Amino acid sequence: MADAQTPAAAPTPAPAPEPKPKVPFSPILLKHINEPDSHTLAHYAARGGYETAKAHIGITVPGDLIKLVDDSGLRGRGGAGFPTGKKWSFLAKGTGKPIYLAVNGDESEPGTFKDRYILERDPHQLVEGVILTCYAIGSKHAFIYLRGEFILGYQRLEAAVQEAKAKGYVGKKIFGKDADLTITVVRGAGAYICGEETGMLSSIEGGRGYPKIKPPFPAVSGLFGCPTIVNNVETISAVVHIVKNGPAWHKQWGTEKSPGFKIFCLSGAVKKPGIYEVPLGITMREMIEVHGGGLKDGRKLKAVIPGGLSAPVLTAEMVDKCTLDYESLASLGSMLGSGGITVLDEEVDMISAIYNTMRFYHHESCGQCTPCREGTGWLEKVAHRFHHNDGHQGDVELLGDIAKNMRGRTICVLADAAAMPMQSYLQHFKKDFEAKVKETAFVEKQRTYRDEITPTAKSITATGAGPSALDVGSNQGSR
Amino acid sequence: MSPQSTTAHRTEFSPERMAKFHEYAEEYPNKRSALMMVLRLAEEEFGSITDEAMEIVAGLCNVSVAHVQGMVTFYTHFKRPFHGKHRFMVCATLMCALEKNTDAALDQIKARLGIAPGQRTHDGLFSCEKVECLADCDKPPVVQCDNEHFCSMKGAVLDQYLDKLLKEEGKSAAEYKAKSPVDMDPRVPTLPAHYNFPGETETGARKTENKDPYLKAGEGALTTNVPGPLATPFTVPVADGVNAKGAPSNNRPGHDSAGNFSNPASNGKHGAKHG
Repeated sequence: MADAQTPAAAPTPAPAPEPKPKVPFSPILLKHINEPDSHTLAHYAARGGYETAKAHIGITVPGDLIKLVDDSGLRGRGGAGFPTGKKWSFLAKGTGKPIYLAVNGDESEPGTFKDRYILERDPHQLVEGVILTCYAIGSKHAFIYLRGEFILGYQRLEAAVQEAKAKGYVGKKIFGKDADLTITVVRGAGAYICGEETGMLSSIEGGRGYPKIKPPFPAVSGLFGCPTIVNNVETISAVVHIVKNGPAWHKQWGTEKSPGFKIFCLSGAVKKPGIYEVPLGITMREMIEVHGGGLKDGRKLKAVIPGGLSAPVLTAEMVDKCTLDYESLASLGSMLGSGGITVLDEEVDMISAIYNTMRFYHHESCGQCTPCREGTGWLEKVAHRFHHNDGHQGDVELLGDIAKNMRGRTICVLADAAAMPMQSYLQHFKKDFEAKVKETAFVEKQRTYRDEITPTAKSITATGAGPSALDVGSNQGSR
Repeated sequence: MSPQSTTAHRTEFSPERMAKFHEYAEEYPNKRSALMMVLRLAEEEFGSITDEAMEIVAGLCNVSVAHVQGMVTFYTHFKRPFHGKHRFMVCATLMCALEKNTDAALDQIKARLGIAPGQRTHDGLFSCEKVECLADCDKPPVVQCDNEHFCSMKGAVLDQYLDKLLKEEGKSAAEYKAKSPVDMDPRVPTLPAHYNFPGETETGARKTENKDPYLKAGEGALTTNVPGPLATPFTVPVADGVNAKGAPSNNRPGHDSAGNFSNPASNGKHGAKHG
């Protein structure tokens, strides 16, 4: 089962590269995940669980909570990194419609598995976060959408909600105050696109996970046409600790623009893959060498995918310059994304890797927008040719052209998510592609093929099946 | 895989699952939005989402069967009748595919059960498929089977699990080596032999009753004395825009209610010959 053994989240204090005074850091969200029965209410209550919610529900003004989260500078941990407090303040007010909170636990980005640990090992932390968030935004109904693969996570979260309900933390008049809250746990069924916020909302509404065009943003018109706040599981869990300890406490870690801490998921050719909660702004090298224990069997680093499969790839030279915060990765042309770091060593064939990536996106495209539905398919097909050492002349340019024409032309960003890695592979590993190009140009090959199977126009006319047989000149005379 | 020997149409789940459904119906803002969870109930009830299950779900959630089918085919994790009883889903996305972890798991499954991705055993007990990311990328390869999640599923661990399943089913690896597997094809009709649509005979052939579905109960079959466009193909318009009964017509002048070109004698301009 999933909870067999986990690499312990590294307790070592991280040396921050910023001039800020170094503050020792130990895991916050993942502090208790390796303790037995950490998913139960008894365990959570023993370590001060639900005390924060009790202290604020019905006492603090909701607007103050929003301001507090805004001041902390917490940014969405799902991938886009949008400031959470700002998102909450965009909520449409006075519409008379109910407000919903939708917690995104779909976590479908390959390379990411942080939410799995929170849901399986510490679900009450999330429930408390949901209670606080709902109180802050004035919502009475929260949906938590989990991906279908989280089997144990679903069972434990559902059990946690029931436990909280029995205690009166969820339901009518929570904590004896004048506030109601229903938490509904929805289980998906294996669709990457449901990790996109509007796709997830479509799925909760009982349809295919088709994303919707923005604007209107969910904060104005989301679930069932009502104002909806969509946040990641990790973001909501972090809210508990920020409300408890205050914005200044959160800001002591991280960089100026990316304050706080984040869970990173390390996979690939490292000695100790797993999840590591660190302050934002530590170097990528530190993550790989200190936390990950370096590369397996003394292999050499070739590339790193820094933020889930959709993040543009970083070469070994770029890795040396990279720190783990939103700005640094953006300046390198990549993104922090959901924090799924995959280390590729020199044995990895980059062409196989990009073919695998393109196959993934082709499979997961929902099919609404033509540039994505067809573009991902084309990228996969052309990458497949390279994968089988059968690239044609002009194919490298063709890949770049398709990728360029996919970006920014679709409802959601899945097309970009497929095009970005392709463009970065083409940029940094062009030689790998060119080594697999055969001599014949694809267009020429097609032309030869067409001439072989298609009779020319001349031969059609000669046999009487051509235009001459359809020439109906006699009709013209009668008119 | 054992077909239930019922020909009666079910419109509900078992009582305990119906209780669960009513719970959902109360919690969700509308019944349609409970679809994801109700489909899970259907999966539990029937073992896989059969056509019958889809009809029940459509009835319960107040949507069309086509919508339910659209859902079931969109989301890859719903178990369908063409899948094996034990459905092996092996992650094939990059993080698992690195260092040939996915291939290792697939090879082991192939060695024991004789099935490659996309195939199921001849008896329908086991099936194997490559799926996309199962979100446990630090411990490849990741495999899901029977609503259970396994990581680092290769070598001795996978072999033990395969042996356990074979023992439970009273099967041996030798049997699957001898008999060739079947390709899983979602296009193959999934209706079991026992299943009959209303109006179908036991053998599955549609009863050929000459009955017009639009007639009300008690009315006879379509005969020549029933008024209709086919019975009276030729009507004479009195004037432009007014039909024989005197009511204003929505049809073009010169055309009767059935759309046929009408008598040219009553309408000079339409009667002019072309050419």
